[in-house]
Amino acid sequence: MNKIHFEQLQETLYHQKLENGLNVYVLPKEGFSKTYVTFTTKYGSVDRTFIPRGGKELVTVPDGIAHFLEHKMFEKEEGDVFQQFSENAAAANAFTSFTRTSYLFSSTSELYENTKTLLDFVQQPYFTEKTVEKEKGIIAQEITMYDDQADWRQYFGTIENLFENHPVRIDIAGTVETIQDITAEHLYECYETFYHPSNMVFFAVGNVNPEEMLKFVEQDQLAKSFEAPEPVVRSFPDEPDHVAKKRSELYMDVSKPKLMVGTKCRKTDMSGKDMLIRELASDVTLDILFGRSSDFFTQAYNEGLIDESFSYEFNLENGFGFAAIGSDTDKPEELEKLIKRVLDDMKNNWSITDEQLERIRKKRIGLFMRALNSPEYIANQFTHYNFNEMNLFDVVPVLEGLTTEQLKTAFDDLYYEDGQTIMTIYPMEQSK
Amino acid sequence: MFHKSELQSGVNLYTRQTTQFKTVSVAIKFTAPLTEENAAARTVLANVLEDSSAHYPTRTKLRQALEELYGAVYYTDTSKRGNEHIFTIYAESVNEEYLRNPEVPVFEQLLTLVTECLFKPNLTDGFFDEATVEREKQTVIDRIGSIYNDKTRFANKRMLELIRSGQPASLSASGTEKAVSAITKESLKTTYDQMLSEDTIDIYILGDVDTDQLTDHAKTLFPFMKEARKSVPVTASTKSEGAITAKHIRERQEMKQGKLNIAFSTPVGFKHPDYPKMQMMNGVLGGFAHSKLFINVREKESLAYYCSSSYASHYGLLYIMSGIDAEQEEKTAALIDQQIEALRNGDISDLEMRQTLALLSNSIRSSFDSAKGQIEIYDQYKLLDENFSSDKLIEKWERVTKEDVQEMAALLTKEITYLLSGREAMDHE
Repeated sequence: MNKIHFEQLQETLYHQKLENGLNVYVLPKEGFSKTYVTFTTKYGSVDRTFIPRGGKELVTVPDGIAHFLEHKMFEKEEGDVFQQFSENAAAANAFTSFTRTSYLFSSTSELYENTKTLLDFVQQPYFTEKTVEKEKGIIAQEITMYDDQADWRQYFGTIENLFENHPVRIDIAGTVETIQDITAEHLYECYETFYHPSNMVFFAVGNVNPEEMLKFVEQDQLAKSFEAPEPVVRSFPDEPDHVAKKRSELYMDVSKPKLMVGTKCRKTDMSGKDMLIRELASDVTLDILFGRSSDFFTQAYNEGLIDESFSYEFNLENGFGFAAIGSDTDKPEELEKLIKRVLDDMKNNWSITDEQLERIRKKRIGLFMRALNSPEYIANQFTHYNFNEMNLFDVVPVLEGLTTEQLKTAFDDLYYEDGQTIMTIYPMEQSK
Repeated sequence: MFHKSELQSGVNLYTRQTTQFKTVSVAIKFTAPLTEENAAARTVLANVLEDSSAHYPTRTKLRQALEELYGAVYYTDTSKRGNEHIFTIYAESVNEEYLRNPEVPVFEQLLTLVTECLFKPNLTDGFFDEATVEREKQTVIDRIGSIYNDKTRFANKRMLELIRSGQPASLSASGTEKAVSAITKESLKTTYDQMLSEDTIDIYILGDVDTDQLTDHAKTLFPFMKEARKSVPVTASTKSEGAITAKHIRERQEMKQGKLNIAFSTPVGFKHPDYPKMQMMNGVLGGFAHSKLFINVREKESLAYYCSSSYASHYGLLYIMSGIDAEQEEKTAALIDQQIEALRNGDISDLEMRQTLALLSNSIRSSFDSAKGQIEIYDQYKLLDENFSSDKLIEKWERVTKEDVQEMAALLTKEITYLLSGREAMDHE
């Protein structure tokens, strides 16, 4: 067992790597009533081409399968796992992202019964043709619900424009058509390949005794048999630096047009500390350029180019990265021009001052400290970082050491010729 | 859980010293009667007070000052509860203990900044800056309009307007576009003066701070005028007028999914002694993933991704929301009716009761694991019991029997079945 104490944060993290390869982390938080527990596999929507466990050839599976598998894990021969969690006073859930599938519960009592339920249901697959068919109607309604959400359509439309080949451009849940091809056999194939304990992380945070929890998980895993760990072989197509499409538009039943500028990150073969520096440097740069204290924000807000829906974000994973900046706006053309002007000015005349960096550095350190109040943030963010060999608890030291040179490097790889796209959604009545 | 001190009649301070969080939080809540005009004016005021102050006369200066305070949070918000309109100022900063050599006492400075924004606003010739007022009016109008883009919320809003037109249940906490448009820099100053002098005020401070010292200084920090403050009598109607024939209304927009919502009225409101029974009934019906609606509409029939019920206790309403293929409207509505009927017939298992009690308890206990959760939950339940604790509430749920749940289901009166769906889906019928 490793015990790592973070003096400044006053947090202690406990870690153990089990024989079967599972990484178990526990972070006790004093004063909390609940324990939030996640069990996550490094398997998301982008993992569509891979060599199945025991196989030799690459296969490509139908779109939306990681998410479909997540849904189907909850159904067992004896019924729905939610029933068991409810009986033991736990609120359970799961989510699938581009690179992860996470199963979780939160409870204020019966911690070990619920932990057992979590470990068992994720490690005992049960798929039949009948249950798979039944789920198609439910997921079709989930996909249809998202189809009506303009924010969602715009975000995924932007990503689709940015990437020519990388599977990040495919909707996480697939489409109503692609999920029809999914079979129980596919689910088993993906399960066997990606749900081996060596490809997973267990994280418990909150009201928990670390020694006890580590021991409990270890005992549970020792009592189950697993095949030997094997590295997962995934395959990704080559992705050019330039965007797939410079512009696209969509007409929906919305009250006001929506504009999003997407910009593609051309350096993504990173992991560990380099990746953390890159991520934080990009976040800080965007804060300086577009944050609420920026000249851009004042001008855009005063001129009515943006409203409260304005937001920006940066995402980086090994293999893909992008920033997205967007708002509801009555003047999409003017907003597009202003955002481009801010980015061009910075490119042509790099002018981030030490004073700006200092201020945003402080802001980001405070933001991180505040986020540590949330067990959900800690578990999810830690796991995300862990899969990329980064450490969540390095955030403050990396922020403290961040330099304007690092900001410039990050910006140069994020804003370059042919690396941008525009996605606009117009209200129906403007459609021709 | 909070320590209460009355600063003056109608102005109370609630403090809680705790090391649970890495931040210190403060919330100031102003309560006034809910009307369309009040909601509009106070929401615009909330935005204007968030924009700047006399000391930080521009948005940029104020935001930069907050960034210097290690990303301290300062924002305003409005909400409604029954027939009350609540204006909240919320602020939070990192406890200095976790910062390496902060140059300034962070929370103390934040408190100064917040009280300046409140008591020394950015006025020109005695009024708020006209350009700022006009811009924030537009922002609030945009916010009101944006609900149209979220079809789930929009369907629920329409449904409430159809059964509770002009009443608190269907009023938006931001008012209406018309009421916002009527605001001037002069009227907004009146709104501000009234809020400071007439509203009842609840101040919360929570975190690892010297609460005794803060309590001693509170009167200097919050120099409200000593005027008589009347609390709003909470009398939100839990009845609709006259006999009810359930409405059945279908509306259309350009969209793919059908939003099938059904509303029921109930005589049991937040302050009614049967309130905990109704909470249990709602849980068995549709509050959770073990509930009848989830199991039957989603899991057994694959009709929906979501189908759940919520109990709006301050308005004596319970509504069911689902997202379906519009062609399955009748089948889904019938299945939902069957679940209500099952409850009325006493078709309730011990397991359903146990699961619902367990998840209600988990939910209230968990909500205390955030600073905002502690403030908001306490602020609501203090109306029932100033010594409120989650254990007391859980005890009440424990006493609820299957017969109680059956009885509560019998008290539901269906008022409306509302379907919002795409044009294509219905046109070929």
